[in-house]
Amino acid sequence: MEVAEVSKFLAHTTPFDQLAEGQLADLAAALNVYYCQAGETVDNSTENLLIVRTGIYALYSDQQQLLTKLEEGDFYGYQLLLTGLADNDQLICEEDGLLFWLPATAFHQMRYQYKNIDIFFQRLFGRRLHQYKEQQGSRFTLKVSDIAQARKIAIHGEQTVQAAAQLMTEKRVSSLLIEQDERLIGILTDRDLRSRVLADNLPAATPVKEVMTPKPQTIDKHAYLFEAVQLMSRFNVHHLPVMDQGISYGMITTTDVIRSQQDHPVYLIGEIHRQTSIDGLEHCSMQINNLALILGKQQVPAYEAGHIITTITDALTQRLIKLAQIEFGPAPCVFSWLCFGSQARMDQSINADQDNALLLEKEPSGEIGEYFAKLADFVCQGLARCGITLCPGNIMASNPELRMSLKGWSGKFARWISSPTPDAILKSSIFFDMRVVEGSKGLFNALQHDILARTNQSLFLLQLAQTALQRTAPLSFLKNFILEHDGKHKKGLDLKKRGISLITDIVRVYALANGIQEVNTRQRLERLAADGIMETKDTQNLSDAFDILAQLRWDKHLHDISQGHEASNLLDPAVLSGLQRHQLKDSFAVINGAQSSMKHRYCREM
Amino acid sequence: MFGWLQKNPELYAEILTFNQVALPSADTPARECRYLVLDLELTGLNAKQDHIVSIGWLPIVEQHIRLSEARHYLIEAPVSVGQSAIYHGLHDSDLKDAQELADVLQFLLKQYPGYIFVAHHCRLDRAFLQIAFQRHFGKAPRMLFLDTLNIEYHRLQKLGSRLATDALRLPQCLARHHLPVSAQHHALEDAYGCALLFLSQLKKSHSAITLGDLQLHSR
Repeated sequence: MEVAEVSKFLAHTTPFDQLAEGQLADLAAALNVYYCQAGETVDNSTENLLIVRTGIYALYSDQQQLLTKLEEGDFYGYQLLLTGLADNDQLICEEDGLLFWLPATAFHQMRYQYKNIDIFFQRLFGRRLHQYKEQQGSRFTLKVSDIAQARKIAIHGEQTVQAAAQLMTEKRVSSLLIEQDERLIGILTDRDLRSRVLADNLPAATPVKEVMTPKPQTIDKHAYLFEAVQLMSRFNVHHLPVMDQGISYGMITTTDVIRSQQDHPVYLIGEIHRQTSIDGLEHCSMQINNLALILGKQQVPAYEAGHIITTITDALTQRLIKLAQIEFGPAPCVFSWLCFGSQARMDQSINADQDNALLLEKEPSGEIGEYFAKLADFVCQGLARCGITLCPGNIMASNPELRMSLKGWSGKFARWISSPTPDAILKSSIFFDMRVVEGSKGLFNALQHDILARTNQSLFLLQLAQTALQRTAPLSFLKNFILEHDGKHKKGLDLKKRGISLITDIVRVYALANGIQEVNTRQRLERLAADGIMETKDTQNLSDAFDILAQLRWDKHLHDISQGHEASNLLDPAVLSGLQRHQLKDSFAVINGAQSSMKHRYCREM
Repeated sequence: MFGWLQKNPELYAEILTFNQVALPSADTPARECRYLVLDLELTGLNAKQDHIVSIGWLPIVEQHIRLSEARHYLIEAPVSVGQSAIYHGLHDSDLKDAQELADVLQFLLKQYPGYIFVAHHCRLDRAFLQIAFQRHFGKAPRMLFLDTLNIEYHRLQKLGSRLATDALRLPQCLARHHLPVSAQHHALEDAYGCALLFLSQLKKSHSAITLGDLQLHSR
């Protein structure tokens, strides 16, 4: 028997408003009602459709990113119901309220019975995939139908394995769909023929039915490609029958997937290491923007994308060093190729320039000096041709002042640390984020160890902190955005100078003060929290703010390059959604807070 | 009375069977118990003279209201519903689908042994049910009742709120808990409202609250 209060609500909620009275009553009678309290994490692991009756619920991605807020009449749980794939999202109640749970059986029954309701939830699911970023511009995500061949090669289950093998040979495929009464009942692969027929010495007349893999995992033609990849890796299978409205349509294999992912970073990096000339490397590097766009389509979060872009710069550098050694002969002494700044922090963006140097085992005089001058020039010019522009500040190994022995570097850092004039700090802070790309790790470790043993000096930290305080987040007293010109572009927010950099600067001060070896900002924050140097709450806030800013910049860059422009850090806040604007302001507020804590800690009067 | 027993030994046995299922002990965490939230519509307030017009109920298991088990029964009137018809919006003509009270009560006994009963201002509901069981079954079952009205009173007292007249009526309670307020004087709608209120009360009390605590608060 229905509760009128419940069915009345459903009658006003899309898509149930299309149901007739009796059907609404059935739906209402299938629900379970739960009262959720603010702060409670909603259990979303069960196969239930969640219908929000009252209250507010915040949905966070596994990256702790706020995706959306659910309110009256909103749904959740349809992804698991429709695809069987759980997400790692977290649903947290922000304001007390009532939740309706519709069990899976009732949900599916309704879906099969009412096409419109099925379509509604399919669309909702489609939109959810894009919820990750609400974005401007056109970007599509590869779907199964984009790559699955519309070629159905099937055999009846009662046929013999020999007939199956002949069909596979004839059609040049590694797998077959097995059907009976026009329904998919299993699949048969090369491997099944080998391990279940030949290895077991079964006769050629064995029916396919007996050796096939019954009830295989399948994927809908309209599903996204990454879902297919997820299914394949989750169930460790290489073949997925593709279904179109419940009828088999074709087969998708891991090879198909790999072929479609030619611009995947793994392939590009492999390609880079196979090149024998700068021309070849330059050609490879032209795929970087394309790769970035593909990463964007695949919803790769910004920090991962930054990591991938850095890995490619590393690969280009490593290959150029190899090519230089082929051209100029082996190095006369042990060396370390160093990188600084964002490349060192592994959060490089697509518009980054070069920041590198050479650390040498021996003094760079005579032949040694000449050799490394040639090598550095070769590599830096090579990188420039590959789109990683020359450093305007001349922080490059091609600069003779930046090719030094351990003693030379150690002395240089010691001077920066012991006599920290504001000007010296401003110029040198980038060097303190340092990583070895190629060459000797031992040599590099010796230098890093030497530096970190010195950095806990209050005068140095004071200057470093004051430098980090010179720029502030672009938030006015009244919490409005402060826009600025950068010369050639329009007004906007500089996401790097007024955001990301402020966080890396703050985190660097803490890391150097505490001798922390990590260079990546997220990893530094994790260490600072683990070592009890900063409150976990604060490091998490900073890390979140960093992610949000990096994500906005990444999205902006993708948008720019997809429009054929150069990637710019200047963001017009007018293009942001309400949620993004809110997140951005929150992030700036976090920066303000972190700056004042740092000031309190490292800038006290001496 | 004995003559009655001989006539209805089966019904009497139902009561005994119901009583055999142990109720949770007083130290059981309240959130783990099973509840049957119910509401009666009556022809008057005197349990000895007046009659049950309708019964609505829904169970709560693991803090979830199971709407699949929501029930609403109109009860066959032994006499005309008469003057109180305006009060609960039912007329004799509506009662033609009505059930016999004994059948409804028998179903209740079968389905919900071991459940704790919950009602808003439960005293009246309990008195009517007890008399009905006495009449039809020869004995009232052992029923444990919680009262959302008294629980609410206790809660507000503890918060130090000043209580306006009517503050403890079900619609006012629901509004206070920001819960949807449904049509009044329909046994199932009111039982649903009471169930929502009870879920909210469970959440608003400390997480380890026991059945015994709620029994105290129900007084």
